[in-house]
Amino acid sequence: MQNDKTISIGLGDITRESRRLAMTITPKTGKWDVIVVGSGAAGGMAAFQLAMAGIKVLVLEAGRMIDTQKEYRTMEWPYASMRRHRMPTDERSIGVAEYNFVDRPYGNHPGFEKYRKLNSYAGNTFTRNWVVNEKENPTTGTPYAGVRARILGGRTNFWGRGALRYGPLEFKAASHDGFDVDWPISYDDVKPYYDKVDILLGCSGTKENLTQVPDGIFQRPSKLNCVEVEFKRAIAKMGRHYIPGRAGVTTEGVLNNKYRTRCMGRGRCGRGCDLHSSFHSPTALIYPARDSGNLTVRPYSIVKEVLLDEGTNRASGVRVIDANTREVMDFKARVVVLGAGALETTRILFNSKSPRYPNGMGNSSGIMGSYLSEHMMGIRGSGFMPTRIGKEPTLDDGRPVPPYIPRFRNVTDRQKDFIRGYHFQGGGGSGEYPGMANQMPGYGKALKSSIRKYYPSMISLGGFGEVLPRKENRIMLDPQVTDAWGIPVLKFDFKFGDNEMKMAKDMAATVEEMLTAAGAESIKVVNDPLPPGWSIHEIGTARMGDDPKASVTDKYCRLHDVKNVYLADASPFVSGGTQNTTWSILAMCWRTMDYLKEQMKAGDA
Amino acid sequence: MGCTVSDLNPPTSSGISRRTALRALGAGAGAAALLPWLSDEGLLAFSELQRRPAPPKPKVIPLAQFGTLEALVEAILPADERSPGARDARVAYYIDLLLSESDEPRRAQWLTGLTALDAEATSRFGVPFGKLDAASTDTLMTAISRNESAPVTPLETFFNITKQATIHGYYTSEIGIHKELRYKGNQMLVDFVGCQTVDGKDCPHCGQKAEI
Repeated sequence: MQNDKTISIGLGDITRESRRLAMTITPKTGKWDVIVVGSGAAGGMAAFQLAMAGIKVLVLEAGRMIDTQKEYRTMEWPYASMRRHRMPTDERSIGVAEYNFVDRPYGNHPGFEKYRKLNSYAGNTFTRNWVVNEKENPTTGTPYAGVRARILGGRTNFWGRGALRYGPLEFKAASHDGFDVDWPISYDDVKPYYDKVDILLGCSGTKENLTQVPDGIFQRPSKLNCVEVEFKRAIAKMGRHYIPGRAGVTTEGVLNNKYRTRCMGRGRCGRGCDLHSSFHSPTALIYPARDSGNLTVRPYSIVKEVLLDEGTNRASGVRVIDANTREVMDFKARVVVLGAGALETTRILFNSKSPRYPNGMGNSSGIMGSYLSEHMMGIRGSGFMPTRIGKEPTLDDGRPVPPYIPRFRNVTDRQKDFIRGYHFQGGGGSGEYPGMANQMPGYGKALKSSIRKYYPSMISLGGFGEVLPRKENRIMLDPQVTDAWGIPVLKFDFKFGDNEMKMAKDMAATVEEMLTAAGAESIKVVNDPLPPGWSIHEIGTARMGDDPKASVTDKYCRLHDVKNVYLADASPFVSGGTQNTTWSILAMCWRTMDYLKEQMKAGDA
Repeated sequence: MGCTVSDLNPPTSSGISRRTALRALGAGAGAAALLPWLSDEGLLAFSELQRRPAPPKPKVIPLAQFGTLEALVEAILPADERSPGARDARVAYYIDLLLSESDEPRRAQWLTGLTALDAEATSRFGVPFGKLDAASTDTLMTAISRNESAPVTPLETFFNITKQATIHGYYTSEIGIHKELRYKGNQMLVDFVGCQTVDGKDCPHCGQKAEI
C-alpha cells in the first residue's frame, strides 16, 4: 500500500507551506478590516468581493491549503492501482445504514476503533484528505449524515455542481401555500446577483422559461444522450420537462481568471477539476482575491467564537485555536463575516457566549439552531431504455452534470397530501462502471454478454424533496461532548416529518410512472429516504427576518444582535425549495457583501 | 492509459515493419543489433512481453488455491470473442490484494470457500476445480449459482461473494473498461456529442428520429 501512488500523493510540500503560513500569520503581523471565517462557496465569495474592493481581508480556514495540481486527480483510472481506489486500510467512511443504527458520536463506535480516521460517507480516495475525521469532529443527537471539509475551498472542491436558482416559489413559499413565513426579500432582490454569479463563475444550461427554476445567463449547455432523449420524449407527453443539467462549470471560459479554463467534457468533476472549469473556491475566488494583495489566508485556524466588546455591543474579532499547535489567539477586525457553512457558523455563534448573550451571539430570539432544513434524498428509480439495449456504447458521460426534471408538484396544481415539491436529477448511458452489473444473474459468457447488452441502456433518476423548515428540527450545543480542540459540538434533533414522508411516497410513484411511460425494462424503485443530511444542502439555522424576535439576521444577513457580524452561507435562508444550494449561497453572499461595503463606506461597520 | 501502442499500431503479421517493432520496443539500433535472431513478429512479441508487468506473487492465497481462484473468476467472466476474461484482467490478484488487507474472518471465508470448491469438484469429477474440463466446470457452476438470489450452502454464498468481487475487479480493469465495455469517456473532448437528435438529425446510435 505504501507504493500505491493513488494513496501516497505527496502532500508534504503543501502541508509544510500551510504550517509556515500559520506560523507567520499572527494577530501581531497584520491589520485587517474584515475577518472571514471559512473559504468555501461562502467564505470564498465574501473574501473575493471584499478584497477586490480594496478591503483588507483575513480568511481563517480550519484546514490546510490545497495543492490542486496533485490533489485534483481528475482523469485517474481505477486501474491506476490494483487496489482500485479502495481506501487505505487505516481509514474508513461511514456506510449508509450505519448512520441510522450506530450510536452517536459515530467515531466512538467500537467497530471503528481500528481505523485512524473515520470519514463521513462522502470520504473516498479523492476527497479523503479534505473531509474531517469524525473522531476529532464528533456530532451527537439524531442520525445526521453531515459532511464537513476542512481544506482551502471546503466542500466546493468536490461539490455536485448543480447550479440552480431559487425562484418566487421559494422566496414567497408561505404566500403560495400558507406554511411558515416568506423570506423578507424576493427573487427580484437576488436575481441581479444570480446574474453576476453566472457571469463571474460560468454556468452551463438552457433557457426554459420555467418559474420553478428561473433561467440564468447560461454558457453552452450539455446535451442529452440517446437514452435521455428517449425518456424526455416520453415524459413530455405527461407535461413534464427533462432539461440539460445546470452546472456551475464554465463551458466557454470566464474572463479575468488566469486559473481556470473551459470544460473539456471529461466528467469526474467531483474529484476536483484540474482544468478548474468546475467552480472550486480556491481557483475561482480565493487565488484571484489573494492576487489583489488585499487577502491573507491563515490555514489551520479553528474559530472557536466571535468576541464581543460589551461596551459597544460590537464584535471585536474572533478567537482562533491553531489546529496543530493548539495555540489560542485573538484576531481583531472591524467586521466579522461567518461563512463556515450553515451548521458550523451556527455552532460558532452558539459558542460565542457572553454575559450579554448567554445563549450565544445572535440568539436573543431563542430560535437560533431551529428551522434546520435540507433536501430529502434516496427515492430513486432506474431501468433500461429500449433503443439502446444491445447497442455499441457511445460517449455518454463527458459532461458536468446529468439532466434535470424540474419540480412539477404544487407549481400550478395543489396536491392533496403534501405541500412544496421535489425534483429529480439523473441520466443514463454508458458510464465508466456498469452500475447494473452487480445485479445481473448468472455466470459465464451469458453473464458477460448480458452486462454488455444492457450497459448502454441504463437510466437512473434520484429525487430531491424539500424538507419543510420546522421549528422543532434543530441543532444545539451538546452539553458534554467536545471536539479534539475542546470546543462544544453540535447535537441534532432532526427528523423527516409527515409532509416529507407523503412526498416520498409520491416521488416513488411518479418516478415509476415516468419510467413506465418511457418503456423502460426492469424498472427498480427505491422507496426509502437516505439518512438526514445526505444532500449536504443544510440551511436555515440562523434564519433572516424583519422581526428580531422571530429571526437571527436582518434581510442583509446581518445579526440583529450585533451589527458588525454578517452570515455569508446558507444559515440565514428561510426555505430552500428543492434546488441545490450552492448557487444561492454565492448570490446571497455577493448581495450581503455589497451591503457590507456600503456600510463600511458610511462608517457604520 | 487506456490506449496502448498496440492499439494504435495493431500487430499484423504482414503490415509490421521492423522499425515499427523497434519503436514499440522503445529501442534504438543498438538493441536491434543485440536481437538479430528475432523475426519482426518475434521482436514485436518480445516488446509485448517487456511492456507487461511481471506477475506479482499472491500475498495471501496459497499457490495451489490461487489456480482455483483464477479458474473460478474466469468461469464467472470468461474470455470470449470480444475481449479477454477475468484471468487476463488479473482479477485473482485483485482479490488476493483485497484479502491481504482484510481481517481474518474474511480471509478465512475465502480460503475455506476455495477449499470447499476443490473438494466439491474432486468428489464429483475426481479433479480439483482448476483441472475441470469445460462441461464439468459448467455443471459445477450451474450447481453453485442455483440459489444466487438467496444462497443456502456455504459454497453458494462463496459463489456470490466471488462473483461480486470479480465483477468489480474486472470492470475496473484496463481490459474490462476498454476492451470489453469499450467505454469512450474520460478524455479531452472539444464538445460533448450526445444524441444526434439534439442537433436535429436522425441518430444512428439509437435510431430515434429528429424532432420535426
